Amino acid sequence: MYRLTVALLAVALPLSAVAAPENYTIDPFHSYPNFEVSHLGMSNMRGQFTKTTGKFSIDRAAKTGTLEITVQTASITTGDGDKAGRPRSRDEHLRSPDFFNVAEFPTMTYKTTSVKFNGDNPGTIEGNLTLLGATKPLTLHVENWKCGPNPASKKEMCGGNAGGSFKRSDFGMKYGVPNVGDEIKLWIEIEGYKD
Amino acid sequence: MNELLNHPAVQGGVAPFVAALIVALVLGRAKLGGLAVIAAFCTAVYLISGFSFTPLTATRKIVLLALAAPVIGILADFAFKPTRLGTAILALAAGAATLWVFWPVLQQKDLKIAALLGGGAAVCVAWLVGFSLAALGAHPVRAGAAGLGIGIGVGVSAVLGASALYGQYGISLGAAAGAFLLPQMLGGKKYEAGATFMLPLALTGGLLAAATLILAQLPWYSLLALAFIPLAARLPAPEKSPLWIQAVAVSACTLAVAAVAIALTWQAAGGQSG
Repeated sequence: MYRLTVALLAVALPLSAVAAPENYTIDPFHSYPNFEVSHLGMSNMRGQFTKTTGKFSIDRAAKTGTLEITVQTASITTGDGDKAGRPRSRDEHLRSPDFFNVAEFPTMTYKTTSVKFNGDNPGTIEGNLTLLGATKPLTLHVENWKCGPNPASKKEMCGGNAGGSFKRSDFGMKYGVPNVGDEIKLWIEIEGYKD
Repeated sequence: MNELLNHPAVQGGVAPFVAALIVALVLGRAKLGGLAVIAAFCTAVYLISGFSFTPLTATRKIVLLALAAPVIGILADFAFKPTRLGTAILALAAGAATLWVFWPVLQQKDLKIAALLGGGAAVCVAWLVGFSLAALGAHPVRAGAAGLGIGIGVGVSAVLGASALYGQYGISLGAAAGAFLLPQMLGGKKYEAGATFMLPLALTGGLLAAATLILAQLPWYSLLALAFIPLAARLPAPEKSPLWIQAVAVSACTLAVAAVAIALTWQAAGGQSG
């Protein structure tokens, strides 16, 4: 009887451990969506959102996963938040109805529909971006995915970078096109701790 | 050509002015010169953001109401006799439309702030529509001058209040009013203004100002100052003088009030001169 129990546990425990999806909560202090947009066709202006929350899960055995991110659009910054004698800063303009319309749409979200693995790690994330009330598909390509204990706290964590691009006009953000570019390049640096 | 049409001054000013002038010249004698307003506004919308109504955002609701306003205006002018009751109903409807436009935004705010913002904006738009229809609709020069003041006042205030989009839309209304006034000034003959001109102008101008208050950074007292523009258009004018002198005199009054609203917005934005 003892041998049978040990044998069953020996078979069942690793299976259950492998099969269970691991859930992670995004670390808001190390997860930022960054973007790049052409300005007058001359330089590429960059900015980021400083308030991001969300969660993700990974099932390595089934090679699936999920990702849900909510971004506070009012947290946008492009390094120009000071009016400096002007009636408005660029960041204030970006928060206005011309661009992110943060009073009407305080958040934008991204939710996965499927995750394709590249070997043992997530490689391509298919999902939907909801911005300005419009929901459109957006594919993110994952780079540098790594899981392991945090060197300081020893808490289990995963992190990586995901990037993609979309046309802002598809979401109704048409102001200034083409002087302010239509194509937005997006990168999300994600770190999350295991629940 | 594309480069020209992408220029903000062309999108919000020049192109809407040309479209409005054509409509005023062609339809002026048919008592439909007031459609210059919607011609200018539609030109601006087409060039700046295009016509799209899903999802139905506050801005798109404003465009939708602007499209509906001349239809109601024509009905009010040609199918019904203007009455105080009719004007009051249109003013109340404009106030209700304001709440409809901003309801999803107001719902996200604290109840007290939502009541102040929503109530204030609704009263302001209702006032602009009601007073403009009652006191200016029958006076095309005063109506045009009020439109010039509302358009320029709302437009420049919106630019300073952090929304260039609403700024261009507002300035397109000013361009329309200018195009409506110009043939009258040069030809010396009055066009019909009525609700066909005044309703789209007052409703759209009021909603754009309210949008800049609720969605951008227009201070409430600038909105209050803008609401005085139709009153300024009722100030005494040299009625026996040629039309162009009357237009210049009344426009000077409305633009002076618009300048106050712009200055207040500039000051609130922390702008510096020089």
